[in-house]
Amino acid sequence: MTFLEFTEGPMWYAAATIFSLGAAWRVIGLLRFGRKADLSVPRASAAVGAVKSQFIHFVPRGSFYKSTYFHILAGYLFHLGLFVLVLFAAPHIIFINQHILGFGWDPLPRWAFIIAAEAAFAGLILLWFRRITDPVVRLISDRDDHISSWLTFIVMLTGCLALAEDNDSLRALHMLMVNVWLIYFPFSRLMHAVTFIFSRGYTGAIFGRRGITP
Amino acid sequence: MKPISSCSWWAKLAAAVLVVVPLAYGLGLASGDPASGFGVSTAAAAEAVPGGVLGNQNDSSIWRRLRQGEAFIISNPKTGTPVIIQSQGEEWRSLRNGPLSLYGGYLLLGSVLAFTLFYLIRGRVKIDGGRSGRIVPRFATAERMIHWYVASIFVLLAISGMIILFGKYVLAPVIGASAFGVVASAALQSHNLFGPLYVFGVLVMFIVYFRDNLLRAADLKWLVKGGMFFIGHAPSWKYNFGEKTWFWIAMITGVILSISGVLMDFPSLAEDRQQLQLANLFHGGAAVVVIAAAIGHIYLGTIGVEGALEGMTRGEVDENWAREHHDLWADEVIGPSSETPSETPAE
Repeated sequence: MTFLEFTEGPMWYAAATIFSLGAAWRVIGLLRFGRKADLSVPRASAAVGAVKSQFIHFVPRGSFYKSTYFHILAGYLFHLGLFVLVLFAAPHIIFINQHILGFGWDPLPRWAFIIAAEAAFAGLILLWFRRITDPVVRLISDRDDHISSWLTFIVMLTGCLALAEDNDSLRALHMLMVNVWLIYFPFSRLMHAVTFIFSRGYTGAIFGRRGITP
Repeated sequence: MKPISSCSWWAKLAAAVLVVVPLAYGLGLASGDPASGFGVSTAAAAEAVPGGVLGNQNDSSIWRRLRQGEAFIISNPKTGTPVIIQSQGEEWRSLRNGPLSLYGGYLLLGSVLAFTLFYLIRGRVKIDGGRSGRIVPRFATAERMIHWYVASIFVLLAISGMIILFGKYVLAPVIGASAFGVVASAALQSHNLFGPLYVFGVLVMFIVYFRDNLLRAADLKWLVKGGMFFIGHAPSWKYNFGEKTWFWIAMITGVILSISGVLMDFPSLAEDRQQLQLANLFHGGAAVVVIAAAIGHIYLGTIGVEGALEGMTRGEVDENWAREHHDLWADEVIGPSSETPSETPAE
């Protein structure tokens, strides 16, 4: 078995299993926390507040625009870029077809995929430098935040190094880092990719019940 | 030497065989004897050998015409130019692998040696008056963000670019041709991908830093006094003449690198192959210049000058540092020092 076969075979399946079970375990744990019963008379629907909250936080609120525009812009650059390159790059679709779903879809043209990768890199780099230069964000950032950022960067970088798709060792290196990232995911703040829904929903429900826009 | 007439008959016979047989064989070749298989060379000289690529011309004359850049009709004009061999490619190759790599390498090594020597002679430039404990805001968040963004992309591009330019001389002999092939492929892909991010960064950096890097009268005084290198400190605004020089080197090379890099990243934008070869030479030349200068910038910004780095990490500097290195700017930002009159720049 070559190293590439190992990273795309046993290691991939182990990493994917840890990722899935670990993330599910974290989510179930969050749901089991529950919350104290709210005995007040509801002024509006908590459920509507929870749903509204999911969407209204995608854009900065008026008075906060000036102080949040930078990380919102960088955040969108990174997350949208990453989303597009993970799901619409031709090599990824082939992998998803062969190893996960058993079917694929039309990939983006290479130039569009490259633009998405550029956006993702720019966003991630800007977000990390904000993390270390903004005094408040620096203070509340811990080791996990930095490991998550750097691990994601390394996964993207190794993917970039393998772009020529002409070398097994570069592909294996990328797969190795993807697997490490998947294993780290459930035990880190990378989980925010899943938990943001619950976080926004919880806050939205509380404020929604009080009749306040969350 | 003994005259041939004095030799015995069998010696004369042997000599005759030695001379005549090869001569006869040679004549046979020259006559194009098909049995010999070498007749082509004579016929090629006459440019009359059938059976070549076109059937009515020999291969060497076709090759010559190709090398001279003659255009031919090609079956699918959309796939490229009708010029099959562009001989200027050889000039590009010899320039890139010759003077550019050689003197570029010397420039980078020279820069490292020069700043090592400078450190050994001058040592770390310390804050003469020690730290005051009072801080002066120096770089806004936007200034620091774009600086570190460009710096990080620059380092990635510099490393991958040096692998592309010097790798086959420096890395390949150490790690072997096969491993170098992998490293070079990785370097090229990352270089191509990160390049446009650098273009964007240079553009934003120019907008953010341009105003404070325009030359002013005080810069001449700084230059005459040799900055902080020889005779104490010289008067300076937010950026001294040395920093401004670095800024303009970074910007001018940034423009050259951006234009040439975009052409190479998107070759369809180039009018012809020669433009791409020129772009490659300009790109390499500008790159070694800016990397050599960056070595100095990194040295002075970190270990070379006490208190400089925190301006770019925390956005603040010590007041004494500000007054010693950038007195005119410090007077403007926090007012004249009670100890040093504003008319007399800090030494």
